[in-house]
Amino acid sequence: MEATHKYAFFLGCIAPNRYPGIESSAIKTSRKLGIELVDLKGASCCPAPGAFGSIDLNVWYAMAARNVVLAEQMKTDIALICNGCYKSIWEVNHKLKKNKDLRDAVNEVLKEIDMEFKGTVNVYHLAELLFDPKICGVEKIRASVTNPLKGTRIAVHYGCHLLKPRKERTWVAPGIGETENPMWMEEMVAALGAEPVQYRNKMQCCGAGGGVRGYDIVHSLDITNEKMINLMEVKADALTEVCPFCQLQFDRGQIEIQEKFGVTYGLPVLHYNELLGLAQGMSPQELGLDLHGISCEPFLQKVL
Amino acid sequence: MEAKKEAPVKQEVKKQAAPAPKQAPAAATVGGKKEQPRIGVFICHCGTNIAGSIDIKEVEAYAKTIPNVAHADNYQYICSTPGQKKITDAIKEHKLTGTVVAACSPRLHEPTFRTATKEGGLNQFRFEMANIREQNSWVHMHDPEGATAKAKDAIRIAVAKASLLQDLTPKTVPVERAALVVGAGVAGMQAALDLAAAGIKTYLVEKSPSIGGRMSQLDKTFPTLDCSQCILTPKMVDVGRSPNIELMTYSDVEAVEGYIGNFDVTIRKKAHGVLTMPEAEAKGISGGGCNGCGDCEPVCPVIKPNEFEMGMKPRKAIYIYHPQVVPLLYTIDWDSCIKCGLCVTACGDKKAIDLEQKDEFVKIKVGTAILAIGFDLFPVENKKEWGYKRFENVITSLEFERLICASGPTSGHLIRPSDGETPKRVAFVLCAGSRDNTGIGKPYCSRFCCMYSLKHAHQIYEKIPGVQSYLFYMDIRSFGKMYEEFYYRIQDEGAKFIRGRVANILEDPATKNLHVYTDDTLLNRPVDMEVDLVVLASAVEPSWDTTRTRKLFGVSCSMDGWLLEAHPKLNPCGTTTAGVFLAGVCQGPKDIPDAVASAEGAASAASIPIHKGEVELEPYFAQCIEEKCAGCGMCVNLCPFTALALVEKDGRQVMEVTEAKCKGCGTCGGFCPGGAIWMNHFATPQIVAQIDAFLLGGEQ
Amino acid sequence: MARTKGYPEALDKKLRDQRYYREDSNPEFLPKVKAISRTIAHMCFQCGTCTGSCPSAPRSTYRIRQFMRRAVLGLENEALTDPDLWLCTTCYSCTDRCPRDIAPTDVIMAMRNLAFKRDIIPVNFLKTVQAIYSSGHGVPNNDVNRAAREKLGMSRDPATTHSFPEYVKGIQKILDYYKLKANSDRIVKEREG
Repeated sequence: MEATHKYAFFLGCIAPNRYPGIESSAIKTSRKLGIELVDLKGASCCPAPGAFGSIDLNVWYAMAARNVVLAEQMKTDIALICNGCYKSIWEVNHKLKKNKDLRDAVNEVLKEIDMEFKGTVNVYHLAELLFDPKICGVEKIRASVTNPLKGTRIAVHYGCHLLKPRKERTWVAPGIGETENPMWMEEMVAALGAEPVQYRNKMQCCGAGGGVRGYDIVHSLDITNEKMINLMEVKADALTEVCPFCQLQFDRGQIEIQEKFGVTYGLPVLHYNELLGLAQGMSPQELGLDLHGISCEPFLQKVL
Repeated sequence: MEAKKEAPVKQEVKKQAAPAPKQAPAAATVGGKKEQPRIGVFICHCGTNIAGSIDIKEVEAYAKTIPNVAHADNYQYICSTPGQKKITDAIKEHKLTGTVVAACSPRLHEPTFRTATKEGGLNQFRFEMANIREQNSWVHMHDPEGATAKAKDAIRIAVAKASLLQDLTPKTVPVERAALVVGAGVAGMQAALDLAAAGIKTYLVEKSPSIGGRMSQLDKTFPTLDCSQCILTPKMVDVGRSPNIELMTYSDVEAVEGYIGNFDVTIRKKAHGVLTMPEAEAKGISGGGCNGCGDCEPVCPVIKPNEFEMGMKPRKAIYIYHPQVVPLLYTIDWDSCIKCGLCVTACGDKKAIDLEQKDEFVKIKVGTAILAIGFDLFPVENKKEWGYKRFENVITSLEFERLICASGPTSGHLIRPSDGETPKRVAFVLCAGSRDNTGIGKPYCSRFCCMYSLKHAHQIYEKIPGVQSYLFYMDIRSFGKMYEEFYYRIQDEGAKFIRGRVANILEDPATKNLHVYTDDTLLNRPVDMEVDLVVLASAVEPSWDTTRTRKLFGVSCSMDGWLLEAHPKLNPCGTTTAGVFLAGVCQGPKDIPDAVASAEGAASAASIPIHKGEVELEPYFAQCIEEKCAGCGMCVNLCPFTALALVEKDGRQVMEVTEAKCKGCGTCGGFCPGGAIWMNHFATPQIVAQIDAFLLGGEQ
Repeated sequence: MARTKGYPEALDKKLRDQRYYREDSNPEFLPKVKAISRTIAHMCFQCGTCTGSCPSAPRSTYRIRQFMRRAVLGLENEALTDPDLWLCTTCYSCTDRCPRDIAPTDVIMAMRNLAFKRDIIPVNFLKTVQAIYSSGHGVPNNDVNRAAREKLGMSRDPATTHSFPEYVKGIQKILDYYKLKANSDRIVKEREG
């Protein structure tokens, strides 16, 4: 195998603690693609940018910086699998590198726990690493597929915190960055043998962020429901995303929508790493798909 | 850099001016008489502009102690009549040899005080200005002590130079009795017509194959709703007929040399591949040449989009934009032509087509030039949220103009690009790419889009019964004569105005209708407006060839990309390059009345040097000190204006300056290893005296 | 600013003075919001692009444009006591499209921070703080998940603070530095007893 790219794997909360299949598939599929994800010991909640940042941004900066410093101590760049974590970890890393006043304020706090943010590592979302031809690339993904997801129509939910706001993002991989009509994740879906499908207003938020899921759940579910209606219009077999929080909102959310709004969809929701795992021959059991709120059976019947 | 200032130069200076402040140095002159300098210093209060930060009394008292100062005075406004009188009277009374005014920037009143100096009996170039306002009191308002000390330094430096200034005479050069206008849109044509009517031979150069510019693409003009071509074609015909206008279409400015009164311009006449009738006659083809019959067109196998129709109608590789072009002459698009020769056969005996024709270079001499190089639409596909080029039924305003125009691709029927149906609900998106600080769009307002969007709403109201227009706006800028009344009329006709900037547009995949999303800020409700067609009032930007063209003429552009005028308020038609003027949108977005007015202004300004017949050049030339010149010739190639040459005099080679070409930039003077070049009014002894006065004098 | 006309309470409420007066503004509000949000909030010209982009606006009375107006005019009380302040999902669409290059989302976050200083905060946020304080995770592991992880051949707890609880102390120090835990506990107690 070619050169391995090594990253400290920042897990966040929802993936390891609610959808562990995302964690294990990320590790296994990445290994097949020349990406090694190693433990980032002692990492915590990123902290959730909406829930935490709303209370006190100073604490948000400090806690995110602490997570970054753990990787600095390992002298290893970070890879993560969640848009929310991306906002916290990447953006705080980026802002502290650029702004001395923020950096000094954060280091005042980190001094209390014998840590110092130095700005020596980079942060990446695993999806951009997979897309970047310098690290992996769509062709390599395609080549690693042993069980193509042929005959399935898969819609993509990009989420919000990965790409937006465009002016506060810098990308190393070419072709990422557009926020109005990106198509790069569809390319990654097509590489798995599936048919990526477009649907109305695909860039809309899932509704969970900013603490809204906790504050006013039916408000967040109404936003989710709007997307569900658009997804059903194009008869998607599954929805894929790269954010466990969006996954939670769409997956458990469909159950809540059924309870509260009386509508049933039954649309399987899978993180891209889970899809990639399936396409690389991992079994549904290995992926922990039985932990999903919405059964993945209808989708699995098409691909297995 | 230091190597250029070698020993010979410094020694020369030391002989001529003593550095010690207590001695009174003799004035160094070349060929002038030695005299004891007696400098008058006049310090201006400029109301509180200067006096508010600088202690005038203290500065005046200091000035009196500077060596060579024979008189010092102060006044509220020295540029006023009594102020100037102080200068002229003081020169006579105190037998001054030079004057220093410490006031505003020389850009404002250098001419004023030079005139006052002249009226006092001195040569006007014996005057030196110290800027203690823009470069001092205005920027050091919070440091009066520092400002006062700096003013003292500035005056001391100015006095040192004034002590060494010489009599100089401006050089008068004749002005070529011809003018150049670049760009034949309505502004360029108007300027050319005015110059021609004033009896001046005018070259009108246009890069596209026909004249008329953007105005000829419009259907109607606001607020009169005149048919645009109807009011433009009389001007186009006049341009074609005027004996004083030499029209060169399908031509670019290739090179510009010279200076005001004497521009040598090279024009590239691009090869049409088609001969005009005179050209054919000259080649011996009697009765031949292109008569616009169009026989060549049907046989050409290559189809391309017609740029005049914004790509919505096809043309062939051999083409005219439309049958009413001026001049009526076909053009071959060499990038697309496959040289099959079918057109040559079709042309027959007229033998008008020459597939081997090459670009021709023509050299012309003009006294002044006007740039009227117009604008393009900003590439609004870069604002991805509005879906231009992604969604078929989102079009730009110019595309709308062509569709609604009776001579356009659909004979004036507004249709939806996706299915050819007539739209019943049309959204007009204002400020599409203007007033945008994101770095993608333009930060400025494009000025005429509010008005043409109102016009568009009217046009569809007139043509499509039952149609509903929605104008999504932030402001309605109906600033001109009868413009607000026009807004009233359009609202009266039933157009709906929604005050909200369009956030994004999404397409219904089945119907290809568009959903326009915004906030109705007046109703305080978010809006999802489904429409059949969206027209984006795109921002405008300088035309694509502007950078190349303006650099040829030495014209700068301002921060927003438009061409820089000499002064935004007091000189909007001139540039900082003498003899070059601006007309029309290239200076900044403007509507047709303002474009025509600016063209008339530019033509008037451009005609003045020509009518006077001569122009005075400031005498800042280089001069060769022939005794010192070794004839090495190294300076000749350094001159950016090719003003220097080696000539033979008295059996040896020395350098000679063509004063009319010399701009006094100092490149040669700074370089000459023998110190043999004297820069008039900025001579080395004068500059060194300034430096010495600053470093060695003062109250340290 | 509550202005009373001295009428009986119901009439005073019905007929209260609706006008905006300069006294209604707190001139400190805008600078505070700008400092926390690090965006040029004062440059908002109310174009409406933000509300036009917002997923929450069509299904509630939440109007980000109106919150921007309140920031510019210094209407601190109105802004911080409006329950709609908590309906922003932080999707950043408004920030992405704002033509004045402002980040309205960050203005909301700044206002939320300022509201918290007045103890205005929905309780779900405080529960997140408490969870992080005790475990390091906003969504902590549970036994159902531990069993699932084991079945997948993974460690029962991830390599985070769950497996390395000694790191939780550091997190607690950070939270205590800003008195976040103490304040959260206090408010939760006041609300829930």
